[in-house]
Amino acid sequence: MKIRHQLTASGILTIGLIVLILVFASRDMNAVVAKVRFVEIGDDLNASLLEMRLAEKNYFLFNEDKALTEIISGVTKAEDTLAQVRPEILRATGPGNVSTLRGYLEEYARIAKETAHSGARDAATEQSLREAGRKLRDFSARLIRAERDDVNRIIAASRRGMFLSFLAILAMAVLAGPIVFFRILKSLRRVVDLAHAISEGRFRHIEGVFPNDELGTVQRAMNAMSDELKSRESELLQSKKLASLGTLTAGVAHEITNPLNNISMLAETFETLYNDLGREQRIEFIHKIGGEVERIRQIVVGLLNFSKPKQADPREARLNDIVSGTMRLVGNMLDVSGIEVELHLAEGLPPIFVDEHQIYQVLVNIVTNAIQAMEELGEGERRLIISTRVGCAPDCLEIEMRDTGKGIPVELLPHVFDPFFSTKGVSGTGLGLSVSYGIIKNHGGRIRAGNAPEGGAVLTVELPVYVKEEDDEHPENHGH
Amino acid sequence: MSTPKIMVIDDEKIVVDMTKMHLVKEGFDVETFLGAAPALERLKEEKFDVVVTDLKMKGIDGMEVLRTIKRLYPDIQVIMITAFAHLNTSMEAFRGQVFDFFPKPFKIKDFIASVNRALGRSGQPS
Repeated sequence: MKIRHQLTASGILTIGLIVLILVFASRDMNAVVAKVRFVEIGDDLNASLLEMRLAEKNYFLFNEDKALTEIISGVTKAEDTLAQVRPEILRATGPGNVSTLRGYLEEYARIAKETAHSGARDAATEQSLREAGRKLRDFSARLIRAERDDVNRIIAASRRGMFLSFLAILAMAVLAGPIVFFRILKSLRRVVDLAHAISEGRFRHIEGVFPNDELGTVQRAMNAMSDELKSRESELLQSKKLASLGTLTAGVAHEITNPLNNISMLAETFETLYNDLGREQRIEFIHKIGGEVERIRQIVVGLLNFSKPKQADPREARLNDIVSGTMRLVGNMLDVSGIEVELHLAEGLPPIFVDEHQIYQVLVNIVTNAIQAMEELGEGERRLIISTRVGCAPDCLEIEMRDTGKGIPVELLPHVFDPFFSTKGVSGTGLGLSVSYGIIKNHGGRIRAGNAPEGGAVLTVELPVYVKEEDDEHPENHGH
Repeated sequence: MSTPKIMVIDDEKIVVDMTKMHLVKEGFDVETFLGAAPALERLKEEKFDVVVTDLKMKGIDGMEVLRTIKRLYPDIQVIMITAFAHLNTSMEAFRGQVFDFFPKPFKIKDFIASVNRALGRSGQPS
């Protein structure tokens, strides 16, 4: 059920309960009022019945003939009163009791009239009149007592009903409300958790059964968004690789041009000085050409490995080997840019568990940034200091790359890993460091940007040490 | 006239070996160096007629070699070779100081002709 419907239903239920309480309370109140009215009338009736019984005594003991007239007029008066308030009495005590009462009244009046007519004062007549009067009075007294009890019962029931209704409303407020809110908060917590995960580059899913309400829709939308972002990140990764390739071109051109020139010179010499060359020399020339072709092949293979899209393929690796591999890839670019490289590679570092190509990409990207940051410096001032060591966090290795450029303005430091953030104007895509951030995060590591006290930007990459487990080839903190 | 002395500096061994073979075949006195530092030391001892140098080398690069030569011997002709074709434009600034400029890969035949022209000999135009 949708939350909107749940809240509406909950409101309607509460209002319904209150209306129900009012209806019952009003009904009880009307019943009580009618019964109280009946009890008042009954009390009057009882008083007049008492007088009629006294009149009986006066007739039989003191031979007062007018006493019978008093009885008849008393009965008539009582019948009139009953007729006047008939609807209220009917409501209060029901038609059965009213007709029984009327029956007793009529019986009593009939005997009184017959007695008055005959003027008899014998024992049988007295017995008959007194019996009718007693029955009338007993019924009336019993009726009024019953009605009084009824009033008390209705008030007690009403009080109980009010109390139970109050409890029901309270229960709705205390239980139903929080149940709805708990569901909302629980769903929101799942959404917030996923949002956090996504902001850290972990494009996972909200698992479990989704409620069939607005929050279920939000959760499904979040999962779709996570999928979309994941695919976009792969696209970003690839586009950044292509951008890095562009930057690498200068170095690569030099790298390929040299063996190409060597082959060209060997071939031209082989052709023009063929007759001057001995057999051994000719074979040596051919070997050299083969060697230079192999040199080009290595460069091409390296570039292809760097550029082609791949699934992450983590393996046990050595950090220093990755740094050396990166240097082979960017060495010429650094030479061209007149950058002196200082390598401080700590010995005996434990292995890490990474996708080497992805880490290459991160390091190439940092080096590319460093080269661009030092473009305006004079020759001899451009230096890139690369160090590897055991990290400050336990069980982690660190690569630090420090350049001698002007560093990153402090106010921009919090944004350097944001997608599309660039300090390079049109020459930067602004994707490099955000992509690097995602890669390192997926490896369970950290990447930090800062400035060296002596100037220049410092990029530090931390990667967890590979902990081999006997029954598990993969480390805990590896992710994709 | 004594045999012209040619110095070749490049960090690619095949380049210095091949140029040397052809230059020797042409009858020149050739000395080769795989880096600029020993070459500049050698220049302090003896003057060469033509110096052929690579532009980008580890340590001291071709620009530095050019500056040192022009300071020591303004009349030595310098021929520059480089793998950076895109640096042609920036090389324009050195046109006045460099006799010729060869982007790799180049034809040895053209290169020899250029050396001959640098020595004031008639050679095929490059």
